[in-house]
Amino acid sequence: MNKMTKGVIATGVGIVLMVGGGGTLATWNQAQSASMGKVVSGDLNLVPATAGVWTNASNTVVDIVKYNVVPGDTLTYTQPLTVSLDGDLMVARLAVTGASAADGFGANATVSATTLTKADKTVVSATTDLVPADSGVVTASTTFTFNKSTTGRTATKTSVDLSGIGYSLVQQAPVASNAK
Amino acid sequence: MKSINALKVTGLVLIAVMLAMFTVQGSYALWNKAVSSNAGTVQAADFRISLTDTNTSKVTDMTLPNGTSATLSLSSTAMGVIIPGQSSYAGVEVKNITNAGGDFTVRASTATPTIGNTAGSSLAPYLSVKTATASSLSLCSQVTLYDGVKDSETPIVDIIKNGSGVFCFQVSLAATMPASLSGQSAQVTIPILVNQL
Repeated sequence: MNKMTKGVIATGVGIVLMVGGGGTLATWNQAQSASMGKVVSGDLNLVPATAGVWTNASNTVVDIVKYNVVPGDTLTYTQPLTVSLDGDLMVARLAVTGASAADGFGANATVSATTLTKADKTVVSATTDLVPADSGVVTASTTFTFNKSTTGRTATKTSVDLSGIGYSLVQQAPVASNAK
Repeated sequence: MKSINALKVTGLVLIAVMLAMFTVQGSYALWNKAVSSNAGTVQAADFRISLTDTNTSKVTDMTLPNGTSATLSLSSTAMGVIIPGQSSYAGVEVKNITNAGGDFTVRASTATPTIGNTAGSSLAPYLSVKTATASSLSLCSQVTLYDGVKDSETPIVDIIKNGSGVFCFQVSLAATMPASLSGQSAQVTIPILVNQL
C-alpha cells in the first residue's frame, strides 16, 4: 500500500468520523417556519354573459340574418359581458375594438359608437379604470340607424358587416410594478 | 481579428433583439382578454312594388332591373273599344312585395291622367277618365264604384307589407263625339306613385 492510498483512506476515515459525530456535537438549536403561506394569482376574464341580441324600434328581438332594414329603421345590438377582475392591485380597462362605419349605406345610415354600461348605469369609457369591485355584467350597446331622409331607392339591398366589433379587457400595470 | 468582428456582430444582433422585445412589450404585456361581438351583418330591404293588370293578370315590377320605372299597358273591358256615351274599364293591382324585416307600409297614389291623341287622331277632348280605389280588381267594371268621383280626383291607398291595393279606371267617351272621329284612338297615361310611409 503506497503512501497515496494510505492518505486517501485516512482522509475518508476522518470524514466518516466527522459525519458520524454530527449528532453528538449539537448544542441547543431551534427551527422556525417562515409561515409565508401561498402566493395566489388573481384573475382577469371577459366573456359574453349571454348571446347578444338585436332589437328594432318596437323593442322586438329580431334575427339579424333574416331581418332587412328600411329607411326609418333603428336597430340596437345589446351584448352583456361578464367582467371578472381579481387581484389586490388589479386595474383594467374595457374598450371597444373594430368600430365599424355604415359602409354599404354611405351617408344614409349611421352606426353609433358602442357604449359600455355597468349594471348601475355607470358608463364605462375607454379610460375608466376598473377594479375587482367592478366585476360583474357590463352591457355593450350599438345602434344602427337607417335615415328616414333616404330618398328614391337609395341603399336598397345593401349591407354593413358589424361582426368586426369586439371588446377587450386589458390589465393596467400596477403603480409599483416591476420591469419584468 | 476575426473574433473581434464576430463579437461586434453578436453585439448588434443582441441589441436588435433587445430593441424588438422592448418594442412589443407594451402591446402584449399584462393580462388581457378579447371577445367578439358577433353582431353580424345588417342588410337593407328591397323596395319592390308589383303591378297586375285587371284583365290579363300580367304582373310587372314597378321598377325595372335597370332602375327605371316600368310602364304597364292595361287592357280594358269591351276589347278596348268604347262607343259615345258609354265607358270602358280597366284596373291595376298594386302589391307591396318588400322583404323588409319590420313594418313597411307604402302609400300609392295616382297622378292626374293625361289623355293624348295618337297620330292623326282628334279623339282626346271627348274622353274622360275617373280613378277610384277598390278592394279587388273584379269591382273595377261596376259603374257604381265611380259614383261621385270627379275626373280630376287622384285617390290614394295605403298598403301594408305583403298587402295590395287596387286602382280602377273608368274611361268614358262623350256622347257629343262627332261621328267623323269614329275609329280613332287616344292614349291615356296615368302615373302611379308609391312612397314609403
